[in-house]
Amino acid sequence: MSDKPARAIKLNVINEPKENYKGGPSSLCPGCGHDQISNVIINAAWENGIEPHRIAKMSGIGCSSKTPAYYLGQSHGFNTVHGRMPSVTTGAYAINKDLLYLGVSGDGDSASIGIGQLIHAIRRNMDMVYIVENNGVYGLTKGQYSATADIGSKKKKGKANETQPIDLCALAINLGCTFVARSFSGSKKQLTSLIKAAMSHKGFALIDVISPCVTFNNNDESMRSYGYVKENEVTLHMADYIPHFEPVAEVEVPEGHFTDITLHDGSTIRLETISDSHDPSDSMAALTALHQAEMDKKHVTGLLYFDSSKPSLAEDLGLVSTPLLDVAESDLRPSEEMLKQMNSEFLGQ
Amino acid sequence: MDTIVNDFTINIATANGTGSQSANLILLQSLFDMGVPVSGKNLFPSNISGLPTWYIVRLSDQGYQAPGDRTHIQILVNKATWAEDLASLEPGSVVIWNTDSKMPMDRTDVFSYPVPMTKLARSLSPKLAKLVTNIVYVGALAEIIGITDEALHKAVAGQFKGKESAIELNKTALELGRTHAKENFTKEDPYVVQERSVEQDRFFFEGNEAVALGCIFGGVQLLAWYPITPSSSLAEGIIGWIPRLRTNDEGEATCAVIQAEDELAAAGMVLGAGWAGGRGMTATSGPGISLMQEFIGLAYFAEIPSVFWDVNRVGPSTGLPTRTQQSDLAMLYEGSHGDTQHIVIMPGTVEECFEFGWRAFDISERYQTPVFGLSDLDLGMNRWACEGFTYPDTPMDRGKTIREQDVFEAMENFGRYRDLDGDGIPYRTLPGSGMAPILYRGTGHNPDGVYSEKPDDYFNLMTRLKDKINNSRDDLPAPILREEVEGDVGVIYFGSMENTIQEIDDILEATGMKVSQCRVRSLPLHSEVEAFVRRHKTTIVLEINRDGQLWGILRRELPNDIVGQVHSVAYSDGMPPRARIYAEKILDKIKEVSQ
Repeated sequence: MSDKPARAIKLNVINEPKENYKGGPSSLCPGCGHDQISNVIINAAWENGIEPHRIAKMSGIGCSSKTPAYYLGQSHGFNTVHGRMPSVTTGAYAINKDLLYLGVSGDGDSASIGIGQLIHAIRRNMDMVYIVENNGVYGLTKGQYSATADIGSKKKKGKANETQPIDLCALAINLGCTFVARSFSGSKKQLTSLIKAAMSHKGFALIDVISPCVTFNNNDESMRSYGYVKENEVTLHMADYIPHFEPVAEVEVPEGHFTDITLHDGSTIRLETISDSHDPSDSMAALTALHQAEMDKKHVTGLLYFDSSKPSLAEDLGLVSTPLLDVAESDLRPSEEMLKQMNSEFLGQ
Repeated sequence: MDTIVNDFTINIATANGTGSQSANLILLQSLFDMGVPVSGKNLFPSNISGLPTWYIVRLSDQGYQAPGDRTHIQILVNKATWAEDLASLEPGSVVIWNTDSKMPMDRTDVFSYPVPMTKLARSLSPKLAKLVTNIVYVGALAEIIGITDEALHKAVAGQFKGKESAIELNKTALELGRTHAKENFTKEDPYVVQERSVEQDRFFFEGNEAVALGCIFGGVQLLAWYPITPSSSLAEGIIGWIPRLRTNDEGEATCAVIQAEDELAAAGMVLGAGWAGGRGMTATSGPGISLMQEFIGLAYFAEIPSVFWDVNRVGPSTGLPTRTQQSDLAMLYEGSHGDTQHIVIMPGTVEECFEFGWRAFDISERYQTPVFGLSDLDLGMNRWACEGFTYPDTPMDRGKTIREQDVFEAMENFGRYRDLDGDGIPYRTLPGSGMAPILYRGTGHNPDGVYSEKPDDYFNLMTRLKDKINNSRDDLPAPILREEVEGDVGVIYFGSMENTIQEIDDILEATGMKVSQCRVRSLPLHSEVEAFVRRHKTTIVLEINRDGQLWGILRRELPNDIVGQVHSVAYSDGMPPRARIYAEKILDKIKEVSQ
């Protein structure tokens, strides 16, 4: 036996090792941006101290939608059908509103076949984190352009894209989405803060993550290659997440100008101004930033828009406080006396 | 002239959106309250206002509920169909017509009762004249055939519960019509109503409303729906019952309702609810089921409890949205791509609509598979005499769902898709429980729920799914048999044909043959169905569609030695079934096959 003491396993605030947040091995292409996002999800959930079994992993179809197998192995998940993850999540939420619904989708899944369901989930302010792993191409079918491909961008094979892209963040802001962010799979720190903040948000949190496709869309002429995004990322602010279990007063205050936003569970997202300050409560400013970036062939990242004033779907449904899953049968099925009484009423007695 | 008592059909021709429906329901209810066996059919257009609509009231002491072969009393209000309606009448019919329509009344071989309906209505309320016109014809008709004021007033009070001014207005309008008839007509026609002993044990109820109530008593936890005729009133029925039956003192409900963006989303929400461990359902019609196909396959393959109600209308495509048919059966039975098979339950009465409403959830959770309730416009949207609803005789069946940690820990060899009991039904744990989490998927999977393309895994999975559904057949609602000992002709039918079958049977038996009935109430077919076929020389499968969908299923699933005994009579013109048409087609078919 060695005298060397066993290295203590690092535990999170609920005494869980990070191991308990990991999933199976990835079968995506080596270097895929999606795998980086999976790692960020693992870190964010672990560091936020969320019980892994209280998370529900939701996805549609596509490369991105396969990733729930690669993180949070102790969470139930549902890899549904193409573009329809929002509706399945909505139904599950109606039955068990106390789970954290973590949806992962892609640009084909969200901007084409499933755009209607995405729009309506936003409209309902469905309480979930919705991550789009956005690479501008369909991977599993071998590299066709998706509806988010930038004008003038050229993938590895074929002609440059000349069709107007759909900007999911601009769409979401116009729909009144209550949490809208854009990030890059290569910006691990920013993405971690944004995903943590989204997990602390009550309502629909959209994070559109540029996640390069190393196989079909990572060439120099592509506007979604690692090289291009690194060169052309416009960061709105430095984003720091301060969890609710860490008193914000004890966190070191940054030197420059910053804004703190308190999230639903008491956590904070701190946005430190880099050059011009961006006000996330100003939807016009967010749309302007997106539009300017598009004109300049840049990608703007950060928390674009935030609104904590709107009720989420849970309030709209007007349900009992217990999740419906746990409501007793005696409260689900009216009594025999009640049916007898109704029969008499129908008879006009 | 001899009188004809309680055995005739009244046809009321009006325009959609003029308020005739409430007048017609008052007529129907007042006859019902006089103890006269009566049924009403609303033939309405896919339109908000202006297009022709007919209401058919059949009085029949024999209890026949189909619309009947011909019209005996025609009420003419609608100019658009005036000439056609008039021309189609047989000599000796009665015509009660609105003289203010300024339309020609040129038949001399009918009993003509002209009524200035609009003028009388205007004299009462210029503003509401259009509406009141309808009540005026009810008043005139009541005087001509002998409906009592007592019955009319009771029906009016029921129709306008508590709205005193509306009740007064309608009573006065009825009186205007009655007085006009009394003062101007001498009764010459033979049609009269006679009061029958009123047994207060039945009431009128619509099928959709009954399914809705059944779902409420079945503990529905999520209704996700998209409006579509003729199923909207089913969903709205549930919504209507929630405040009284599923809401606590704080005003909080135990059933969520989401109006989805389309039928795809509605189906997705139902699956989400089932996946999370709840009772989710949707109500739709054929076009909605078409859109839901992808999710239906996912529910079958991933084994998610989910309940779908299909109120069948006329297809294909948009079809005739406000007419009735039994044409979705084949689509439901094998919905979605790939090899699938689904449980379908088909109520034929309002009592069964209620029962299958709650039972669908139990079946779906027990077998962890989608369950389809199949109704149709005729059953769903018309009012039928109902003997009252029976409380569920079993507690909710939540199936093999493991909710307790100790139960889970005591299990050996658990796998989400492992057949531990040999009945094809696996055990499941729920999201949030922390017990044996898996990533549910529509892709191939092994008994542990892990992605697999291995030939054995796929083959074994598909075989187990087939066995699972097969094993359900004798656990589903058994067929209703009304059998003669002779075993000449057996008629197999389903759903709303129940309301016409006895009249068909009587027409057939009048020719000397003995006819047995077998009403199929579920798919896959109950083993009783095969036994019924074996007991009869000839079996007819009677359906309201073109292709004989139930017949097709029987032909494929019955043993070869009896397939030749089973013949199809399928007919659909959009109308609710009229007995004589179907009876004649059965006679033709029997003649054809016996040659």
